[in-house]
Parts: sequence; C-alpha cells; structure tokens
Amino acid sequence: MFKHGYKAFLFEERGNYLFKIDPRTKLIKAFLVMIFSIIISQYIILAILFLIITIELIVLGGVIKKLLRGLLILSPLIAIIFIANYLVTYNIFRSIIPLLRFLIFIFAIDIFFLTTNPDDFALTLEYFKFPLTISLSFALALRFIPTLSIKLNDIVEAQLSRGLRLDQGNILARIKNYLPIIIPLIVTSIKKSIEVAEALEIRGLEPNVKRVPYRYLKMTRNDLIYLAYSIFSLAIIYVLPQAMQILLEII
Amino acid sequence: MIIVKNLWFKYNSLYVLKNINLKIGEGELICILGDNGAGKTTLIKHFNGLLKPSKGSVEVDGLDTKRTPVSTLSKKVAIVFQYPEAMFFTSNLIEEVSFALKNFGFKDEVINRQVEKVLKMFWLWRYRNRSPFMLSGGEQRRLALAIVLAWDPKYIIMDEPTAGQDAFQREVLLGVIRELVRRGKTIVLVTHDIEFIFEIRSRIILLKNGEVIYDGDSPVLFNKKTYLLKEAGLDAPTLIKASKLFSQHGIPIEFTDYSDALEKIYRLLTGS
Repeated sequence: MFKHGYKAFLFEERGNYLFKIDPRTKLIKAFLVMIFSIIISQYIILAILFLIITIELIVLGGVIKKLLRGLLILSPLIAIIFIANYLVTYNIFRSIIPLLRFLIFIFAIDIFFLTTNPDDFALTLEYFKFPLTISLSFALALRFIPTLSIKLNDIVEAQLSRGLRLDQGNILARIKNYLPIIIPLIVTSIKKSIEVAEALEIRGLEPNVKRVPYRYLKMTRNDLIYLAYSIFSLAIIYVLPQAMQILLEII
Repeated sequence: MIIVKNLWFKYNSLYVLKNINLKIGEGELICILGDNGAGKTTLIKHFNGLLKPSKGSVEVDGLDTKRTPVSTLSKKVAIVFQYPEAMFFTSNLIEEVSFALKNFGFKDEVINRQVEKVLKMFWLWRYRNRSPFMLSGGEQRRLALAIVLAWDPKYIIMDEPTAGQDAFQREVLLGVIRELVRRGKTIVLVTHDIEFIFEIRSRIILLKNGEVIYDGDSPVLFNKKTYLLKEAGLDAPTLIKASKLFSQHGIPIEFTDYSDALEKIYRLLTGS
C-alpha cells in the first residue's frame, strides 16, 4: 500500500496524443467539460459525456492504469456521494446525476493532470500570471511525491522492526498507531523543504525578480484540432437527445 | 540460526536477489559486502520478514518468515537502519527507547531497567529528557543502537553503520560490536566500508548483482581472492594493497586484520 499508492499522482512521460497537446488547451477543454456538466442535468447526456472522456483518456492518453488507481483511491467518496443522494431522493437516476458530475470533474482534471508534466504545469501557471512562489511550489510538490513515498516506506519498515502493529485495537487506537509514522514523515518533509529552499537560493532564485523561461509553451495545429473536436463533440452531445426525439416523432 | 534457502526476490519484474543460500549461526560475526545496488539491504530485510521471498524460503530459529508476523520476528532479529532519524517520533529519549519494549510486551520494571542500562551504555543518559531530534548525527546513531539493544535481540543487523560517521563514532561502534560478539550475539554488518571491515576478522558474504560470489573467512578473501573484491566493485583495504606491494618486492607477507598488520609491520621494521 505504502509503496504503490503514490503512483496515482506520479507523472510518467509517454508519447500518446494527449501528452503532445499544449497544457493550456487541455485546461480549456477541462473547463469546458466541467461547465457543460454543471449546465446539463439529464443523466443520459452526462453518461455519454462521461463515456467520451473516459475513452479519450484511454485511447488518446493511454493512462488506463492510473485512471483505475485514482478511482480506487476515490471509491469510498464515490460510494458516499451515491448513497447520500439516494437517501435524499430515493431515485436511482436522480442520484446518479451528482455522481456522474463528480466523475466527469475528476476525469476532466485528469485530462490535464495525468498528461501534463510538472514543468509544463508550472509554465502554465506562470502564463496565467500566478506568482512564481505558487507555480514553483506546485511543481515541486508534484516532483517530491515519489521521494516522500520512498521515505514513508523507510519509516514504516523502521517502525515495524520496532514491533509496531498497525492493525491492532479499535478505530481510535488504529489512528494512534499511525503516529510513529506521521511524526517522522512530517519532520523529514520539513527537513527536505529546508534543503530544497537552500539549494534554490544557492542557485540564485529570487522570487521578486522577473524570470525568463528556458522553454516557452507553444500551440500547434494539433491543439486547434483537439479544441475544435472538443467543442464539436460537446455540441453534438447537447443536441443528440433532442435530435433523437425529433427523429422518433417523425417515425 | 537463520537459514536462507534458494532465495529469489523479484522487484519491479527484475530479480534483485538470485538463488541465495546461507546459514547464519549463533554468535557469528558476519559482514555482507557489496557495492551500491548489489542487494545487501534487500537481503537483510528478509531476515525479519519486512520482505518476503518471491521463491525459496528464510527461516529464523525454525520460524518461516512467510508465515510469521514482522513483530514476532523483530523481537529476535533487530535491524538498525541507515537513517536513524526516520524512526524517532517521541519527545524524549526514555519514551523513544521504551516504545519497542512496550510493543513487545515487557513489564514496566524491566522496561525502566533496560532503558537506563542502554542509555548509560551509550552515554546518552544525561540527555534522557531531550527530544531525539535535538541530538547530533552521531548521537542519533548511538540512540538507534541503544533502542535496538534495549530488548536484547538474539540477532543484530546493522545497515551501513559507518556511513557519515567520524573517527570517534567508528571507534565507539567497533567497541560495541566487539562487546556484543563477546556476549555471544549474532552480528550482521552490511557495508561497503572495506577499511572498517578490515579492523575485525569476520565471515564475509560478498554480493554482486544479487548473487553471493564469496562466503568465507575475511583473511582468505583479502589475501588469496583479492580479485573477487574488484569483481564486486570494491577496493582492497589499504594495508592489503601494501602487503601486495611488499610481496612484489620479495617480502611475502599476509595480514589477517588491522592489528595483525600493525604487529607484522612493526616486526618487519625492527627486524624481530
């Protein structure tokens, strides 16, 4: 668990189509999809949208493993959303709508996050005029997930070797069992962040001085195609049920 | 006795340990040598069940590590890890040392007695109310050793005990190891610090790419099979290199360990 949980957040560079798209395009796409899913309240349209995004992530992104891992981590939340809504509405279809919206939100963000490397992510934030301290913090946070997970593993092994048992006692005792793991982890992270801050200062980082990026984000023809496809697909999904209705009436 | 039989261990679809066969008897002093990535740490993590074999088996005093919980095995086999600060979490040394003793179900009076004993043994008693995070690097290392010795395990495994240690700490460590061997404990040292190994005569297990390429007495390895060290990506101890130089110039000489070497060189120089 400790060894592999972090992989859901870890970026892996791949050659798939979505990886080549400009992060800003993907961000626009994600926002479009999210806004669309808020406006729409028919579960069929939401289901079709969900299906399309899933297929996009799998076919164009090739990130099926990560998608499943992320869903596994979120599965308790998904269950809670569905059950809570069902208890209020007593209607399966109506309780599916918020669930689908939640999943569409997650997957829309995944289109951006799973296929954008942390450096491009930082560049995107800088492009949208976020201060350097924020963009750099985000990029570093993503970069340090694997490092910390290795540290976490070391800590768990060290404490197990001292006879720590995580699965003992009632729920409160179990939470307490994690203290010997959480405290060293916090101490290690603080130490690590001081080290990183010092390293950045040594290399001449000045938050208030305007920086010139080494690499610029660049939109290509691929981006236009992807954007056009996104808007077109959303439009089709929107008019599809009405078109079906009309078609049925004619028949 | 720790018995390792045909141990294979797979990590990320790659075998990092390949067909390891070992018997570690009681009261032995063993050094596991190898360069970075040879599989040393992976091997010792099998001794208290932190890692389970992909193929083969590891038995500790007749207990199969695949079927015995880590907490049971850890009472017998203690590992002192390379980064001791990774395990500190309490606000003072007394609590830090007694944590494991409580886990293993010792009685209060035993805990108090053992805590005092080990903290005094490592000159940490005067810091007993301090936070372990406030100690210096060397003191943290000593505390990590104290923590492990407190429950009096039969087998003590130290992962890179000399890494980042000054001469004084090495001397302290050497003294502790000698004392523990005298008391009949089984000590396994994992290191690539060849000079440190040369100070004590021991059984050496040489690892290369997850395979054992030498298992035997240290003087034999250093004097007769020096090429194996090179093969494993390690350098020979300075005094062994000196002995080769002596031999090349017509003075055949062999050193078993550091003190033996000093004595022989003294005799050579004084002509006695």
